[in-house]
Amino acid sequence: MEKPSTLFTGIFGAFIVSTTAMVLIPHSQLSGLQPQIVWEEGQNAPSEVYPSKIEHSLGHRHGERIFVENGCFYCHTQQVRDPQFGPDIERGWGPRRSVARDYIYQDTPLLGATRLGPDFANYGWRDADGKRFWRNEQPAVAATFVRDEAFIYKHLFNPRVRISDSNCPPNPALFEKREIGSGVSPDAVKVEDGKQWVPTASARNLAAYLISLDRSKELKEAPVAKKEAKK
Amino acid sequence: MTDSQTNLLPTLPASGATAPAIPVAKPSFAPQANPESVERAIIDQSAKGPVLTFFTTAIFWLIVSTFLGYVASKKLHVPDFVPGPEWLYSLLGIDGIIRSIFDTNFAYGRAWPAYNTALIYGWCSLAGMGVATWLIGRLCRVSIQAPGVLQFGAWFWNAGVAIGVVMILAGYNTGLEYFEMHRAARACIFLGYLFIGMWGLILFRYKRTAAPYISISYLVAAFFLFPWFFGAADLLTTTQMPGVMKNIVNAWYQGGLFNLWFGTLGLAAAYYFIPKVINQPIYSYNLSKIGFWGWVFLGGLTAMTKLNGGPVPAYLVTLSIAASILMIIPITCLAVNFGRTMSGHTGKMAYSPTLRFTYVGTVFFAIAAGLSVLGALRSVNSFTGFTTWDYGVKHAMLIGFFSMVMFGAIYYITPRLVGCEWLSRTFIKLHFLGTAYGGATIIGLFLIGGLATGFTLNNPTVDVSEAYKLREFTFANVMQDAGAYQAVKSYIGYTLFGVAQLIFAVHFIFMRLRIGQPAGEPTLLANPGEAH
Repeated sequence: MEKPSTLFTGIFGAFIVSTTAMVLIPHSQLSGLQPQIVWEEGQNAPSEVYPSKIEHSLGHRHGERIFVENGCFYCHTQQVRDPQFGPDIERGWGPRRSVARDYIYQDTPLLGATRLGPDFANYGWRDADGKRFWRNEQPAVAATFVRDEAFIYKHLFNPRVRISDSNCPPNPALFEKREIGSGVSPDAVKVEDGKQWVPTASARNLAAYLISLDRSKELKEAPVAKKEAKK
Repeated sequence: MTDSQTNLLPTLPASGATAPAIPVAKPSFAPQANPESVERAIIDQSAKGPVLTFFTTAIFWLIVSTFLGYVASKKLHVPDFVPGPEWLYSLLGIDGIIRSIFDTNFAYGRAWPAYNTALIYGWCSLAGMGVATWLIGRLCRVSIQAPGVLQFGAWFWNAGVAIGVVMILAGYNTGLEYFEMHRAARACIFLGYLFIGMWGLILFRYKRTAAPYISISYLVAAFFLFPWFFGAADLLTTTQMPGVMKNIVNAWYQGGLFNLWFGTLGLAAAYYFIPKVINQPIYSYNLSKIGFWGWVFLGGLTAMTKLNGGPVPAYLVTLSIAASILMIIPITCLAVNFGRTMSGHTGKMAYSPTLRFTYVGTVFFAIAAGLSVLGALRSVNSFTGFTTWDYGVKHAMLIGFFSMVMFGAIYYITPRLVGCEWLSRTFIKLHFLGTAYGGATIIGLFLIGGLATGFTLNNPTVDVSEAYKLREFTFANVMQDAGAYQAVKSYIGYTLFGVAQLIFAVHFIFMRLRIGQPAGEPTLLANPGEAH
């Protein structure tokens, strides 16, 4: 054993080195990050701010809470890697790699570390016409899938209804049994014994949160990857 | 010699596990007992209360975590799995409740973090602190003064883990891996730790020996670094941080937790028990010093490799890869030191349960540390990133290395505290087989399953659109293939592991009830001289 003074100094030094290199330096590097602002000449407000704080409404935050509560982030990451690290972009999960600036308004960015399900960084990615781009299937199959709220409700209630070999857990607790009343709700996932299963507020907020996930806007440090024919 | 000291003596001769080759003589009592043995008995007696509290609660969490681990593993291939006799539930009219509990509270996304929390903060940390308390008393030759302080800390810690696990199952999750517990639970744990850790360091201050035990260095490092990493991570993740900083802090904390808390505690125990049982000094003191300083300095720098390719400053990952490669030096020193110390003595593993568990634990250590170096390389990471490979490496560290060493230590320490020997050598053998083979199955399937999915999931050279056409390769297909690994992991891995831990728990309860062999002759796995 070392002399106690050597031992304590050494251990303290190890902690300082680790904290400085892994926490303090990245903090000073990242704390200056600002949203990318496009401000056209003669306008009194910016025409484009990304990422924007406005998206983070109460419902959005509640949806994120449900996402975390049920541990969705253990299987669904929210980060797209550069093509040199993996075929994330080619797979249809996003148009460009994710960068630190995408997450500056997130309380706890749910980057995730394991992919037992597809990536959700750009689940709600759409173009100006509102056409959806995110996909996880062969392009031909993806065209027949509409990944909207109704799909999400069905998937949450029982993932194996739409994707027969899914290992995603069912979440019946996000739905409630109601009287049919004036007619079957368009969001009902199951009709049984004269009753219908409809999504609760939690399920609606979770779906709204997923649809709002869009980190596809071009940033100067992360240009949108150009489509290249792979030959 | 006072009466009270004489009364302690029956606990002494359990040290017989040290020299199996020599026929163990019936202990000769009071007058001939040397002062050192008397001192050791007094120290053991002073440590009895807190150490047994640590062990008992740790084993409770071991059983809880194994159950949760089985459920989490099973949920990955049978997502609507409900365990148990369903006819009984419907007979009692609670089948609806049970199903909704297992669909919601024990879904993979909650059972998995609850499992990790119970395993890491419940079993591993409590067992580690129990062994550390006993080791501090032994190595520093101090009686544990006011053991109530340690016991108080242990109960606080347990309350924290219980709150944390229940709240995770109820849906309170911080969103940070291996740090999921609610802040209330973390506060309890930290408060409990202050009593335990500070007391440990105060005892270290009053040490009455200058013997060069490398174990003490490891213990001091563990006891000093854990509260810093835990406290800093707690404060940093509850304040406003710019974006991905929380993920960076989380990864940094994981490095501290696995390398500098479990790594150092486990190595401290291994460095004590291996030489103790074979009755030989450590092969090289200098090697162990290089190993120690290398491990402590680099251990806190290797964690960012899991953010490879992610939205973090690139230098972090590069630095961690460099640190991981440098880790080869301390890992080699440690492995060579253990291997050379044991050379010529491996035969004793046939007799001594402590040696068998501890040495196999150090072999798992070399494997776990080697795999984490391997997984850090960019070329390997491009196959293993985002797969269950990382779980495999962490499980090799937790249930391969750390738990094995702790089992060895518990088999050594408990007889000296309760005053009787382990009841059955068959129980110990079964426990070893189940832990080694069940644990290896769990680890191996995490690793192989990770590689199998990773090749198609991550490989940048795979042309996805071509793959779609040729093999109908969709993401769900890949995961369905992985389901086979998960199935084997739950049916063989966790089942074997769980049965072994149940046997161990029953055996330990017998010890607490003082049902066992009479003190004096340690329970060896085979009689000396017997063919094995």
